[in-house]
Amino acid sequence: MGDSMRKAWYAIAFMIIISPLFGVILANMIGYHEPLDVAAQMLHLKDISDKINWTPFYNYTVPGLPDTIGYIISGIIGVAVVYVLGKVFFGGAKE
Amino acid sequence: MHKTGENVHIPDGYLSLPWIVGTYIFTIIYLAIAWRKAKRQLTPEKAAAATTLAAAIFAAMMLNWPIPGGTSLHMVGGALAAILFGPWIASWILALVVGTQCFVFHDGGITALGANILNMGIIDVWVGYLVYKAVRKVVPGEKGIILGAFLGGWLGIAIAGTAAGIEIGLSPAFPYGIEITVPVMFTWHLLLGIIEGIITASVVYYLVKKGKWVIA
Repeated sequence: MGDSMRKAWYAIAFMIIISPLFGVILANMIGYHEPLDVAAQMLHLKDISDKINWTPFYNYTVPGLPDTIGYIISGIIGVAVVYVLGKVFFGGAKE
Repeated sequence: MHKTGENVHIPDGYLSLPWIVGTYIFTIIYLAIAWRKAKRQLTPEKAAAATTLAAAIFAAMMLNWPIPGGTSLHMVGGALAAILFGPWIASWILALVVGTQCFVFHDGGITALGANILNMGIIDVWVGYLVYKAVRKVVPGEKGIILGAFLGGWLGIAIAGTAAGIEIGLSPAFPYGIEITVPVMFTWHLLLGIIEGIITASVVYYLVKKGKWVIA
């Protein structure tokens, strides 16, 4: 692994470790809504996501874990999944 | 409440059937074409770097900054990926990230996956790329690279957000039309996109300064 690639992975690890600060803690303090949710709320539109859920990691949570830890674990799971997919797709693309 | 989705991520229940089907078909056909083009451009080094960028974009998307008043901002990365890898590989980078968010974390609806990849993996990517290229033609040298990356990142988000507004607004199931959804989405994303532009320009500037990357 090259030096710049190693640095990129350090940056990824750093982002995951601090992510609950933004995605959970600050969001709880300030009240997080994405622009689309705000618009939808204004329009009285129903988000039916929770009614047709298919994953145990809904909304970056892990069952049985506090939101902050769950968010970090979700980050690790997500990065691992993206990494494997990248390896399979991009790595397998070489002709 | 923790995050309920990402910037520009459309959840289930917002889009009408014709839009669900239409965006899925368009996105699948586009990704098939993009894959054929991307395959020819991928070297082992680029494949490893593209995988790393995909992981970095996923991690960066988890850092959403809530803003008092009820919104948040965070990276999408379509323009950045396009500037570093060209639009075809970039679309696949974003498709892998958005697909993972949808299937593993239910971030963005499964009925809206076609639309979400269209907005973030196609529109954001191409607007960012074309704006970057256009600026570089007009402004030479390093200045052009930085300005192009900033404007590409910024406008990519603004247009991608607007596209989401159009898709929802034109869905007959939606109670309000595009005359409401488009201005709302455009205004928000025009503001939020400034940060995307700054981050895009910063990362590109860093890589150019290190002289380790050939920019598109």
